[in-house]
Amino acid sequence: MESRQQEAESSVILEIRDLTYRYETGTQALDGVNLKIRTGERIAVLGANGAGKSTLFLNMNGVLSPDRGEIFLHGEKVNKKNINALRKKVGIVFQDADNQIIASTVLAEVSFGPMNLKLARPEVARMVDEALDYMELNEFRDRPPHYLSGGEKKRVSIADIIAMRPEVIIFDEPTASLDPVNAGMLEEVLEKLGSENKTIIISTHDVDFAYRWAQRVLVVCGGKVLRDGTALEVFSDTETLKKAHLKRPALMDIYELLVEKKLVPDQKKYPRDTENFRDLFE
Amino acid sequence: MSGHSHKHQGAQSIDYYAYTSGMRKVNASFKVLFSVTLLILCIVLDHIWVSVTVMAGMGLLTVCAGGLSLRRYLSLMKFPVAFILMGSIAIAAGIAARPYGDFNLNLHFFYLYTSGADLLRAARLGLKALGAVSAMYMLTLSTPASEIISVLGRAHLPKLLVELMNMIYRFIFILMDVQSRMSTAARARLGYEGFKRSCYTFGHIAGNLLILSFRKAGIYYDALESRGYDGELKFLEEEKKIKAWQVFAAAGYLLALTALAVIL
Repeated sequence: MESRQQEAESSVILEIRDLTYRYETGTQALDGVNLKIRTGERIAVLGANGAGKSTLFLNMNGVLSPDRGEIFLHGEKVNKKNINALRKKVGIVFQDADNQIIASTVLAEVSFGPMNLKLARPEVARMVDEALDYMELNEFRDRPPHYLSGGEKKRVSIADIIAMRPEVIIFDEPTASLDPVNAGMLEEVLEKLGSENKTIIISTHDVDFAYRWAQRVLVVCGGKVLRDGTALEVFSDTETLKKAHLKRPALMDIYELLVEKKLVPDQKKYPRDTENFRDLFE
Repeated sequence: MSGHSHKHQGAQSIDYYAYTSGMRKVNASFKVLFSVTLLILCIVLDHIWVSVTVMAGMGLLTVCAGGLSLRRYLSLMKFPVAFILMGSIAIAAGIAARPYGDFNLNLHFFYLYTSGADLLRAARLGLKALGAVSAMYMLTLSTPASEIISVLGRAHLPKLLVELMNMIYRFIFILMDVQSRMSTAARARLGYEGFKRSCYTFGHIAGNLLILSFRKAGIYYDALESRGYDGELKFLEEEKKIKAWQVFAAAGYLLALTALAVIL
């Protein structure tokens, strides 16, 4: 038991203790947040607009520095000196790719992060090439961002972060303005990253997606983490859902309805997706 | 995409032509050096046949090697040609109370006059300017602004200026995009019905753009910092090799021009 505990502790990448952040305008965006992020976790962060999700992310990556509280990266306290390590290990894919893309060609854009890591040019070139391959962007490398489609820009903004090889990748509402094809592409990328044991944190309003994809769900409300648990735990907690103005995933409702109508046996085996659902009947 | 660039004439279409140019693969520093040398040669040699050769040569290069359609090239040339033509007329023609020139036009109160020598001088000047313009067009229609900016950076222009240019270049397109969306939304609500309304709408869009720019700048800065920005924008650029034949061709062309000026 103890060794398991130790193992769990050693795989903690990021630990946040009592994080508090207030904007200059006086808005209390974060109010005493405690969190532990471990290797390979798939975390969905839910919460209304203005709940403090983005502020939390910016703190986790060192762009904003908290008014109170500490962040530990691999057990080491983050301060001014090692803040660059935090920026390297935790990458954020911003909601709107147009607010992230800065360079005038895809190649230059993806190289921006690795260049800031102060690596030798051949090394940078290799990282960029890998990221472009990963996101299948090779044919666009000389293109300027303003001649890319929305989905292509999103891929560029993800390649931006992958090129820096972070351990934790945060996606801020990634599905927000994507069409179904690109949303599908995004889920494939998430699957691929997950299979490589990267830690992924996604903020989303899509509860069905969160339920299907996430192992762990955080509900943020009023600058606090209201609930932290498995997808099933969180979505079963009607009180939390009500407080945070969240809907329940449709699949859960349907499953419970079927159980209620005695159409499926009550085994508490909530299906995560339609394929799981099909298995119920076979 | 091309439809998009058609709608906005000017900067955006020139940018688009540059990206699709067949000469984009040629080293940018080389293109800058070549076109600037050509520009200087055009002015220094001040020879009518040199100007004509540069004009024709650069036009051919842009159309044939660059792959820009002749129609588009001519339509882009329209503006400088119009300006130069008007300027040349002013140089060639004079106004006087008496018919001084070889050719005079009696306009009752005064004479509009010109002479053969004046006409030649004007033609010479106009063609010289056109030659210089076509050399610069060759550069801008084959080299995206970002590459020209990076050449300037390598030529040790202050970093601050280079980064500003880079940012401005990127943001022009973002602002244009936002502006076009806002004006579409305004049009959908009859915002451009009549002159007064149009002015009102235009003012509001301009004001909104300013506010939006401030907000966007904040988000942008966060995004930059999150990727480790430390006060200097550094990007990787693909090295484009200069080929020997290109150097020989360029040197040959420049020598031929000089020879032309000496012989004729």
